[in-house]
Amino acid sequence: MPKVIPVPDELSQPFWDAVNQRRLMIQYCTVCGKLQYPPQATCQVCGSAHNLEWKEVEGKGHIGAYITIEDGRLNRRMPDQPYNLAMVTLDADPTVNFYSNLPGTPAYEVPVGAAVELTFEEVAPGQLIHEWRVLE
Amino acid sequence: MTNSNDFQWRRDRDGLGVWEHRGKVAIAGYGHSPVDRRWDGENLDTSLGAYTILACQKAMEQAGVTIDQVDGIVCCDSHIAGGSGGSASNWAPRPYFAPPYDSEYGITLINAQWLIGAMGFKNVKFAPTGVPTIGEMVGMASQAVGDGVCNTCLVIYPTGNLEGRYRRGGENADDYARGARQWTVPWGNHGGNDFINIFPHNQYCLKYGGEHDDLAPFVINQHKNGMLTPWGFNVNHGVEPITVEDYKTSRYILNPLRIWDCDRPVNASVAYLFTTAERARDMKSQPVYVLNHSQHNFRFRTTQPDLDEVEMWTDRQAARMYEGAGMGPADVDIFNPYDGYAIMTQFFLEGFQWHGVKRGDAFAFYAGDISVKGPHPFFSSGGNLGNGRTRSAMYTDSIEQLRGTAGDRQVTVRAETALCAFTTPSSGGWLMLGKYPS
Amino acid sequence: MTKLISFDIDGTLEVGDPPGCITLDMVRAAKASGCIIGSCSDRTVSNQQRIWETAGIDMAFTVLKHQLDTVKERFPAADYYHIGDTDLDKQYAERNGFHFLLPDVEVVQLWEGGD
Repeated sequence: MPKVIPVPDELSQPFWDAVNQRRLMIQYCTVCGKLQYPPQATCQVCGSAHNLEWKEVEGKGHIGAYITIEDGRLNRRMPDQPYNLAMVTLDADPTVNFYSNLPGTPAYEVPVGAAVELTFEEVAPGQLIHEWRVLE
Repeated sequence: MTNSNDFQWRRDRDGLGVWEHRGKVAIAGYGHSPVDRRWDGENLDTSLGAYTILACQKAMEQAGVTIDQVDGIVCCDSHIAGGSGGSASNWAPRPYFAPPYDSEYGITLINAQWLIGAMGFKNVKFAPTGVPTIGEMVGMASQAVGDGVCNTCLVIYPTGNLEGRYRRGGENADDYARGARQWTVPWGNHGGNDFINIFPHNQYCLKYGGEHDDLAPFVINQHKNGMLTPWGFNVNHGVEPITVEDYKTSRYILNPLRIWDCDRPVNASVAYLFTTAERARDMKSQPVYVLNHSQHNFRFRTTQPDLDEVEMWTDRQAARMYEGAGMGPADVDIFNPYDGYAIMTQFFLEGFQWHGVKRGDAFAFYAGDISVKGPHPFFSSGGNLGNGRTRSAMYTDSIEQLRGTAGDRQVTVRAETALCAFTTPSSGGWLMLGKYPS
Repeated sequence: MTKLISFDIDGTLEVGDPPGCITLDMVRAAKASGCIIGSCSDRTVSNQQRIWETAGIDMAFTVLKHQLDTVKERFPAADYYHIGDTDLDKQYAERNGFHFLLPDVEVVQLWEGGD
């Protein structure tokens, strides 16, 4: 799939660096103990900017819901249509979720509630993105 | 010019109590331009600028107010079709026309400054920049009039649309995703309330039972009400009411979101004239009174809002509005929430518990009699789905229902209070109107 | 066998919104040449039928945009063409084995050019 390529910025660079090393690093507030994704400048619970660190989390999750994109607006993805877009909750904190195209799962055949595991996909030379694959 | 950030007008927190200006602010007039699918780029009589001038003239005429009496202008300078792509994002630079169409203002953008020059307002003392969309503008104007910042205030909401497919191109044609888009676009989510709300909608169907096509009676009813709205797009452009079969066989956009669940971008403008209740009593047309305004802008806790968040957000919206108006669900006669996508409306209906509808009850409610002549005239305006994406039908219908001038749309139940909005579950605003000031 | 030509409406035909460059006379000419013709649009089927009734053109099919596959099942033809103005028209055409053509006056060659 010719996916759109993420462009890291100052805030997200550590996240994408980790992804390129096939690791999932999530922002973590040392005061609140709360994971947050996508990364933000401050903790969304306590507002602290100085207590945010990066924490590696286990790439385990579950499918919370999904849709199938049949008429999206992204030029680069039009040849892929129809394709799945799932909301994957992180087992380590189900209030954190990710998007996934669920590589390997045919369009419309998404097992909602199923366990998934982290995988990675190269979208440009040297640039990976995090993806999720349904566990057999 | 006053920046909207300088004026503390928002009621966007929990527990603010009854609005201090409850019943002391009124809407005395409104005006709609024709609603076209798009501007042809040539005819200056149908440009967004011309349509905005026309809407203002109609609103002033209805209220019996002259240009010299207007001392406030609240106008949103964002154009709907631009921003994230399509031909709309690449309109300028281009050849312009004679003044006042010698810049992008008047063509795809309207703001107070342009309008003051184009229409010759001389006594405007409140014309903020950085104005939000109509869901919040009506609250801003209400507070400004209530606080005495201005006395006679036009609220103008232009919605532009030009040639070209909606939001095709621009950053949606980019191979790269920057900023907030890096977290969504690589997987296919290009942003918008269709994506934001379709996941909670699917969770809703799973949690409470029911299926997506249970929305059909609601969407069909929106079209029916739109056909009863003389100024709307559908009734003037040969868009015929749809049937259950039309709905259920229609194409998916974001399966299960169907094409008929989506509103239609249009080129149009609307104006409302806000003033003090005291002044409004002597004006030409029957005033309706503002009983409260409220806003909300809830932060997503993660990438994709889920059903729990959406229900919590809409519960809080309802609590804020009811508290500020000193009212409860049973006090609301007319209910015009938002339907830019049909999948979000049930969250408002249940959050505000209109006609006793609780969480999980919306689909059964839709299956009953929600016609304007029935006992539960839900969304009597027809909303965006019935009229095009003007985002104004909710307000205009509410005014007309309270005045008793809604024509074939006039409800047969009591119509003394009306709740209307342009909002999504996460952000926007609500307005409570009353036939009487208290 | 004959050609089958499917016309999108909005952005393609002169009666579309926005109007396209394919005139109703061109559609009539396609039919007169012996092509199997019909429309394939996001407009409701009843609305499409009303357009053709008003124009006095007897169409073999009027289907929704995602139903091109049913056209191929119903009408045997030597070649299948869909004329439309969007990426989605192209997507549905190619997915269902139709040749895709953008609305252009050159498309008249489909029916004027013989087999």
